[in-house]
Amino acid sequence: MEGRLANSWRLTVNDKNFIKTALLSEIRIDGRKPFEYLLIIMVIYREDGSSEVQLGQTRVMGMVTAQLVQPYRDRPKEGILSIFTEFSPMADPSFEPGRPGELAVELGRIVDRGLRESRAVDTESLCILAGKFVWAIRIDLHILDNGGNLVDAANIAALAALLTFRRPECSLGGEDGQEVIVHPPEIREPLPLTVHHLPIAISFGFFSNESILVIDPTHNEEAVMGGRMTTTVNANGDICAIQKSGGEGVPQRVIMQCLQLATSKAAGITKQIKDAVRLFSSKIVF
Amino acid sequence: MENKQSSSPASFVDSTVVPGDVVLDLSSMTNQTIKLGGGLRQDCDAISAMKAGTLRFSKPNKYWIESSQKRYVPCVEDTILGIVVDSKADNFLIDIKGPAMGFLPVLAFEGGTRRNIPKFEVGTLLYLRVVKANFGMNPELSCTDASGKAAEFGPLKDGYMFETSTGLSRKLLSSPTCPVLEALGKRLSFEIAVGLNGRVWVNAASPDTIVVVANAIMNSECLSGAQQIIMVNHLLKNIQ
Repeated sequence: MEGRLANSWRLTVNDKNFIKTALLSEIRIDGRKPFEYLLIIMVIYREDGSSEVQLGQTRVMGMVTAQLVQPYRDRPKEGILSIFTEFSPMADPSFEPGRPGELAVELGRIVDRGLRESRAVDTESLCILAGKFVWAIRIDLHILDNGGNLVDAANIAALAALLTFRRPECSLGGEDGQEVIVHPPEIREPLPLTVHHLPIAISFGFFSNESILVIDPTHNEEAVMGGRMTTTVNANGDICAIQKSGGEGVPQRVIMQCLQLATSKAAGITKQIKDAVRLFSSKIVF
Repeated sequence: MENKQSSSPASFVDSTVVPGDVVLDLSSMTNQTIKLGGGLRQDCDAISAMKAGTLRFSKPNKYWIESSQKRYVPCVEDTILGIVVDSKADNFLIDIKGPAMGFLPVLAFEGGTRRNIPKFEVGTLLYLRVVKANFGMNPELSCTDASGKAAEFGPLKDGYMFETSTGLSRKLLSSPTCPVLEALGKRLSFEIAVGLNGRVWVNAASPDTIVVVANAIMNSECLSGAQQIIMVNHLLKNIQ
């Protein structure tokens, strides 16, 4: 029992009170304003389909891979998109190795819903032979360090990795035209995925009474706040998904305020992701 | 000849050592008492290093290894900041950022008796002294100085506590005063408690002073003295 006590991270009473009182005068412990987003630092590795995102102290690595599989029977013409999360105990001692925790499942679901429900990735273009062969895209999200707001960082990492990913080109051949030939990247240029738009997840934290609202909560704030809400919006102002977790109730007016804030932030983040990806693609051409 | 070199303390003091280095040879230092601090161990006549860092020597006879890390390894007579995790009949369990929980005996307070055991809620921040730090045992802490007085030890009220590396907290406590504290102290008034386990507590009249001081200290880790002063001046310009 003692081992577990030693491993869990805890916040002092002093910190809890300070975070709340400071927020009353619109001050956050890292010197930000309540509606200020942290600087995002994005690194895209030389390899296709990988990215690393740093959001304050938080670091998340995204990795996209693809495989040819048989499609689901009810959707013979659609590719498969799946998301896997990996919470290493190195990132935060409270993450247990092995079985994914509640947070790991929730994070995967939020990112998954944002991408799937908004049809951001064109799954129909992943079909090669209806009912026989489609591409299954697998997104792996590795949490490297937990400094709070894992959802936003993981979502950005997933998007950046999707944008840099290229799948090998395929064609049908053989006697009956039913055989799939996968062309190696040296022979035919690999193809990028069709991503229609970028659904950006933006998280909010609510404190004791709903009048206090912060964007992009840090690790300490997450331990104090009463409720959280993640809104997934894109740069065009479309709402792709909303996830509300944590006990505190939120009136409609506050949700509308959150959505407005999220839309205004989403444009900036979208631009940042696209710039990073463009920089990466211009590097690999030469 | 070689033997002589390893035995002279001057050869290793203030230089980088790695685990396994024999830093002192006792066979050539008879009639001398030395005190070993963190990171050193004795095997018969050889004093060897157990962690990587800089070997320090303080007159007349203290030796220890200084390094910067996230996890704190307790050492006798260190002053630290601990968080109350649980209270048992005889001890408070204290989180000290170390490999094991610290034990704070309920009687280790000034004038402590069975009758007046203090009550601490979980999460209380305490300024403590390490009394015992033996292998395989939970470190023992105390809320009194060596003579049994409360001194400055005890619970810290209000304010904000943040975590740093052990190297930074040692720098903050060094004398002459660390440039970042010097520069901040000229312009702002605040209270600070630094624990050698890499925890720093700051209190001031207004929350924005606390935030500025906390961020200035966290940013100062990899900066030189002059850079620290520039950084502090820049931060202070922003809030005034």
